[in-house]
Amino acid sequence: MSTSEAIRADAARLLAEGRAKLVIGYRARGPHRAPAFVSDPAGVDVLIYDNLCKQNLAVYLRKPEVRSRGPVAVVAPPAVMRSLVVLAAESQLTEATVLAVGPDAYHGVLDLAGAAALLKEKYADLAPSPELLEALAKLDAMSPQERARFWTDQFAKCTRCYACRAACPLCYCARCIVEKNVPQWISTAAAQHGNFAWQIIRAFHQAGRCTLCGACEAACPQGIPLMLLNLALSEEVAKQFGEKPGYDPAAKPVIGSWKPDDDQGFVR
Amino acid sequence: MKILDADKLPDLAAVLAAAGYRVVAPVRDGAQVRMAEWKPGLAIDAGPIPANSVKEFLFPRCEVIARYSLDGDSFAPQPAPVDAPKTAVLAVRPCDAAAMVALDKVFNWEYRDDAWNARREATTLVALVCAAADDECFCTSVGGAPDARLGADAVLRCADGASKFILEALGEKGQALLAAAAGVLADGDARPDPPASVPVRFDSKAVTDWCGENFESPLWRDLGLACLGCGSCAYACPVCHCFDIQDEGTRSEAVRLRNWDTCGLALFTQHSGGHNPRPDQAARWRQRVMHKFRYFVERFGGLACTGCGRCARLCPARLAISQVCREIDEARKAAAK
Amino acid sequence: MAQTETKTAEAAAAFQPRIVAFVCNWCTYAGADLAGTSRLRYPPNVRIIKLPCTGRIDPLFILKAFEGGADAVLVSGCHPGDCHYTSGNYHARRRWALFRRLLDLTGIDERRLFFSWVSAAEGQKFADLVADITEKVRAAGPLEPANPARRRL
Repeated sequence: MSTSEAIRADAARLLAEGRAKLVIGYRARGPHRAPAFVSDPAGVDVLIYDNLCKQNLAVYLRKPEVRSRGPVAVVAPPAVMRSLVVLAAESQLTEATVLAVGPDAYHGVLDLAGAAALLKEKYADLAPSPELLEALAKLDAMSPQERARFWTDQFAKCTRCYACRAACPLCYCARCIVEKNVPQWISTAAAQHGNFAWQIIRAFHQAGRCTLCGACEAACPQGIPLMLLNLALSEEVAKQFGEKPGYDPAAKPVIGSWKPDDDQGFVR
Repeated sequence: MKILDADKLPDLAAVLAAAGYRVVAPVRDGAQVRMAEWKPGLAIDAGPIPANSVKEFLFPRCEVIARYSLDGDSFAPQPAPVDAPKTAVLAVRPCDAAAMVALDKVFNWEYRDDAWNARREATTLVALVCAAADDECFCTSVGGAPDARLGADAVLRCADGASKFILEALGEKGQALLAAAAGVLADGDARPDPPASVPVRFDSKAVTDWCGENFESPLWRDLGLACLGCGSCAYACPVCHCFDIQDEGTRSEAVRLRNWDTCGLALFTQHSGGHNPRPDQAARWRQRVMHKFRYFVERFGGLACTGCGRCARLCPARLAISQVCREIDEARKAAAK
Repeated sequence: MAQTETKTAEAAAAFQPRIVAFVCNWCTYAGADLAGTSRLRYPPNVRIIKLPCTGRIDPLFILKAFEGGADAVLVSGCHPGDCHYTSGNYHARRRWALFRRLLDLTGIDERRLFFSWVSAAEGQKFADLVADITEKVRAAGPLEPANPARRRL
């Protein structure tokens, strides 16, 4: 049985048994992949899974109109499972039903604990792409002025469409800091100061939480290399605090916690 | 017939820049081709459909519309001149050029927008007949065509098997541009290549009619589920034109800004008291389709969509307004039987 | 050549860095106050902004300072273990450890962003710190024109 067929069979069973009222998976739209929302066991035939299915579907679990149609089951590659584990660690989820898929195999229907165990067992060494690592190293080798110029040019493209925020499963604030205007910390203008503040704060709010799923960068209509920011922070989180988010549903938030012996070599 | 070798677009840009034009052209930027201000040395890639539309060069994302100096309780207006440089846009797509005509109607409707009109007047659009289209293109479904001339001041057309361009002026601005570019244009003959073939995907009249009767439809609810609620589609759209007015200042100076805004974002209709008349993405998607295919038609007699397909290409959930329209059209046909 | 070097040195000496210091109410502000009441001299290049605790110093404040044209920012509070609110400085320390990496990556490097612990008894340390930072920023030169955070409307 192919992965797609196995997903359909499990989705139909979950819906028929009432364990899920809504299955979120992938469907084909021409040569593209779009999210599918299936609530009828007879409708599972639209579900497919292949290596073109890239969107992080965990993002839908924060939407009230999706939650209200739950319980929800999600087709989840490792990136999606890691997002769900972070959401659980942050008390945004208490339970999850996933149809766990990997690049190599279909792992069946799992709950949150099962997904976390699978991640630790089979997907503990998920690493950023060599291209991304190389791009970050190249940026770090530049002078500060060159880096400033690089980002000024990149952020100049930002239209403030907030697709980066919308596509990220971990951007779930009921009201985003950029939408608070008393006082207005971040200018909403798609101009240099507003774009810099927005992009820096967006990245920093993910510090210690980001699982490097790549949804923000993939969503950016302007092609801004947001993953460079996320990767730099993730590396720092691993180096300084030994944390890799998305594996432990009971993990404490990196920025919401502290240790007396945290490194302070940079403090005078 | 004015002829330009296919690899000579940078030469055309250079001669126009030397003649005082700000030149905007499709240039490669990482994985994308984008409409951007051309600088000497930049290659011009007229192949793929640019990721961004030409809209932002006539209607910027963020524009200072007033300026003040502040001193204690008093303030004094300062000049905030309209920035309208003489501009030549090379290889603008026919769908983008047509969109500027739709925007002319908006910005000269109840209020004549001086900034828009000044930039429009200063801009010469050199359209490129599309030689290729992709599966998201649907200009032919909304009254356009890969070789349409609406809104264009001049037309570039591939010829002799993509080895040459034919450049043709369509009006005074186009003639002025051709005169400025005379040094790089040759007189000659060439056989134009056929334009791209774009299948008609739906009947837009049927969509307009359906929208008039289906403010409440389960379709909106289903669409709303997948929509993530960003502004990617609207900001990529050459016709979307909503904006927000913001004041920003320090203790000594302030500016009033016109920033792009979009009905896709929750905050767009959020009232200060907390109520939101468009409470979810279903209501916001409905607004998007209704505005483009119904309200705009009622107000201006044309669609607010020119079929460029950018919204679908860039949607993080790969939602496509053309597919929605096709489903509406098919549902309507099925109901009629 | 020699003339150019003299000119550059003159320009560096003429450059007066604008440094914004976000300090906590209980330790560093009191330390700065002690520096003042002790008649210690330190360069007038630092603008002090007092907050209840380093735990209250949001990264947004730092961005706002650079947006308004600061050449450098100093963030300073109570030594570990001395926080008036027990753990505000520990939380802040983690935040800064990551935030400085982000700003460095985007072109506001370690010559522009300083962190310190200065207690209420360390008036001399505060004066020395400001003198040292001012010299370092002066050597680094103005952040403009390559300030990626600058408001330019």
